[in-house]
Amino acid sequence: MDSPPKRSREETEDEYDDAPPRKRSSSRSPHNGSPEYRLAERPARRYSRDRDNSVDDSADERRYYERRTPSRSRSRSNSRSRSQSNTPPPRKPTALNYTPHLILRGHKRAISCLKFSPNGLWIASGSADATIKIWSSSSGALEHTLEGHLAGINTLTWSPDSTTLASGSDDKSIRLWDAQTGLAHPTPLIGHHNYVYSLAFSPKGNMLVSGSYDEAVFLWDVRAARVMRSLPAHSDPVSAVDFVRDGTLIVSCSHDGLIRVWDTGTGQCLRTLVHEDNAPVTSVKFSPNGKYILAHTLDSCIRLWDYANGKGKCIKTYQGHTNAKYSLSGAFGAYGSRTGSRETYAFVASGSEEGGVVLWDVSSKNVLQRLSGHDEAVLAVDTHPKEELLASAALDRSIRIWKASPLPEARVKQETSNGYDPDVLPPNPFATDSPTWFGACGTLTASTSCASFVA
Amino acid sequence: MNLSLIDPFVLAQDCPDVITGRLRSGHSTSIRFSHRGDLLASGRHDGIVVIFDIETNGVARKLRGHTRQVQSLSWSTNDRYLLSAGQDWKCVLWDLQDGSRVRTVRFEAAIFIAELHPKNHMLFVAALFEDQPVIVDMTEQVPVKHQIPSAPRRSQVERENATEKQNAQDAKQTTTMTLFTPSGKHVIAGTNKGWMNIIDTETHEVKYSFRVTNNIIVYIRLTPSGRNIVVNASDRIVRTLHLPDFSDPKLDFDTLQLEVEHRFQDLVQRLSWNHVSFSPSGEYVTASTWMNHHIYVWERGQGSLVKILEGTKEELSVVEWHPSRPFVAAVGVDSGRVWLWSILQPQRWSALAPDFVEVEENVEYIEREDEFDIQPLEELHKRRLDQEDEEVDVLTIEVKGSAAESGAVNGEPEFMMPVILDIENSDSEDEVVAVGAGQFRRRSPGAGREWMNDDEVAVSGDERRANGTAVQNGTKRRRG
Repeated sequence: MDSPPKRSREETEDEYDDAPPRKRSSSRSPHNGSPEYRLAERPARRYSRDRDNSVDDSADERRYYERRTPSRSRSRSNSRSRSQSNTPPPRKPTALNYTPHLILRGHKRAISCLKFSPNGLWIASGSADATIKIWSSSSGALEHTLEGHLAGINTLTWSPDSTTLASGSDDKSIRLWDAQTGLAHPTPLIGHHNYVYSLAFSPKGNMLVSGSYDEAVFLWDVRAARVMRSLPAHSDPVSAVDFVRDGTLIVSCSHDGLIRVWDTGTGQCLRTLVHEDNAPVTSVKFSPNGKYILAHTLDSCIRLWDYANGKGKCIKTYQGHTNAKYSLSGAFGAYGSRTGSRETYAFVASGSEEGGVVLWDVSSKNVLQRLSGHDEAVLAVDTHPKEELLASAALDRSIRIWKASPLPEARVKQETSNGYDPDVLPPNPFATDSPTWFGACGTLTASTSCASFVA
Repeated sequence: MNLSLIDPFVLAQDCPDVITGRLRSGHSTSIRFSHRGDLLASGRHDGIVVIFDIETNGVARKLRGHTRQVQSLSWSTNDRYLLSAGQDWKCVLWDLQDGSRVRTVRFEAAIFIAELHPKNHMLFVAALFEDQPVIVDMTEQVPVKHQIPSAPRRSQVERENATEKQNAQDAKQTTTMTLFTPSGKHVIAGTNKGWMNIIDTETHEVKYSFRVTNNIIVYIRLTPSGRNIVVNASDRIVRTLHLPDFSDPKLDFDTLQLEVEHRFQDLVQRLSWNHVSFSPSGEYVTASTWMNHHIYVWERGQGSLVKILEGTKEELSVVEWHPSRPFVAAVGVDSGRVWLWSILQPQRWSALAPDFVEVEENVEYIEREDEFDIQPLEELHKRRLDQEDEEVDVLTIEVKGSAAESGAVNGEPEFMMPVILDIENSDSEDEVVAVGAGQFRRRSPGAGREWMNDDEVAVSGDERRANGTAVQNGTKRRRG
């Protein structure tokens, strides 16, 4: 079967390719959701805003293998000069220096998902070639190749004790694997009517939540391999699900632009987060402390939501990457001194469709580092639970592991402005025709630029 | 973490309302919630102990070791170890990490109840039928049993004036109920003559005695704080008492005066009570009724009956309150099912559509000054980004009070029971086997009892020595 890139969004309504992205909200008709239709149309399962990229089947394979030259040469030595207009808080690092550590190759097709095990020993990666590979995170050696799914893998999740791996696939099933032996559990979890697109284990490992293209969120009893609860979640494919750290909340998001927070115990929706632009949400993740939700949307933004206070509020918007087509996913990481709690800061890492990985500081939204190396869109990024390691997987079939190194002296410079490099064209979704607008004011401080425009 | 999002009116409800579920694995006879409340241990009529996962309502583990009905269950404070007492006259300490038996302790009498020490899971206290209660130290392979007295403490004057008859009566007293105080320094024991004894765990000396009733004390329960006690006696009265802090070194037992706070009884129907328990805060007292289908819930502040839980068509025996939620579990005597009562939460529609608000009455909408002004989108976007200037901490984990107490005090990480992905262990309706398309029969009584042959289960030294005889006995005594 001609499997498409797993992480591309299907969108067959052609008008979106032409319409400006911000006007897409109300006119979008609900997804035509019969499975037959989907299977027939599978190669077109992608959400494209590229005007030059016509929606035809033959384009897919090409997108896999053509080597995209990055639009801009990014060198880690960082020759960019930044004007310095505000002084950051003392001693907080303004840049990170992750350097290439390992490159893992072996998958025959694009890699859609990648997860460090909670104990940090392994990396699991799932690919469009319907296999899952488990690698050693320290040496990069291939430990197991898990074969059994009949179609491409969309998602992976580790049980909290790192003994079991769950995978969701385009063959509509969820499989459990023993990570030590590499053997599949005899009974797959069957119940979804369409591609299983996202999975998350509960913190105790007794429940599994799954989101599917059939627009439902299922809560599974892992021990009995049965559906415990079905959440009438969304009106479009569910693109991501996650458990909060104490297991009492589930978050789900969908291409309908909604992020919903559910009570695990009762199955009731407790909160719905929606951004005005209503862009399709492709990934959600709770922050490590469970107070915030990080969401990727197809308007090239990553938003951090405070879901608890008031009616839920977007408190940070991270920009500087490209994300209009694929379900990219991100991860939280920590930097600074790992021992002293006071000096630990958090960063957000995400892939970009241009082939890079971008790291932002959570609070200041500044880009801390851009990692280049992948040739094609980086779909999955994960951070090591204990060490300062970062793994990224891309359409170019490779996995790269990055390791934090001490900053060279020259690198210690401040980045200013709102989360993007001043000398890079800003990926502002509204500025499609006048991209220089942000560039012009990028060097101003936040408060002055705001004031000047109001005036 | 869901508390901040739940309707405060729902959270304010602290008494369960309706039957929200039931659990079934064999014929349950006794149940006990784990301290964290995510697991429910259920002892079965056939001697198997089943651990239910309350989150999934499925079976998390089956522990095979008893040959007769399970009488009582007790969890260690970290929820890793479970002590079960069976009508086969033995107590088994289970390690839920791997489901193995850590120790097996045999007695020469039937066991009323066995309760683990709150701080040391290798120590337990047991009340025995027509025998003196024992504190059992299982630290060594061979358990050491220390007998503790049942006779109430008499003052010097009372002892001198005591008649022959009184002394004989004191000697005849036996203890029917024992449990540790939350600090573990004292044992509270109830006797068949209605005395409540406070016994020092170290010296095994009766520190204080108080006559609660003239009848047999059937069951005693403490609140988690240990400051309130509920006593079920065979005179059809449930009594609550307020206790002093026994761990306070300044407490003088000689001047201590206890008073019965409330007497709960049904004067009209003369109901007697099967089992009593406290709600987590001690605010409510629940009791299941003998030869009746109801669970009575009294409020302790006013001493009034607030609710009767019903809905089952059978008598209920053990009733247990969840350690943190308004959630009650009770065992049906006839079916052996575990019935669950809780609160039904209505879906708030405003949570589904954030731009809708639930209002009590019509509200006249006042439009904002700039509500329909047209502003350049770029400017809006820019302004919005600039407002996002607060410091955000996504890493620091706020530790709630209760979690800090349970996990951090011992300095050890919270125990998590491994998840077993085994269908055989998870089946709930296991007496029924499929024999054909749509045809079922009851499983034959002996089937699935291979564990009695006792090879695969790790056994302690005590168990191994007694192995040959015990297994034969167990097999012979088995009910068909």
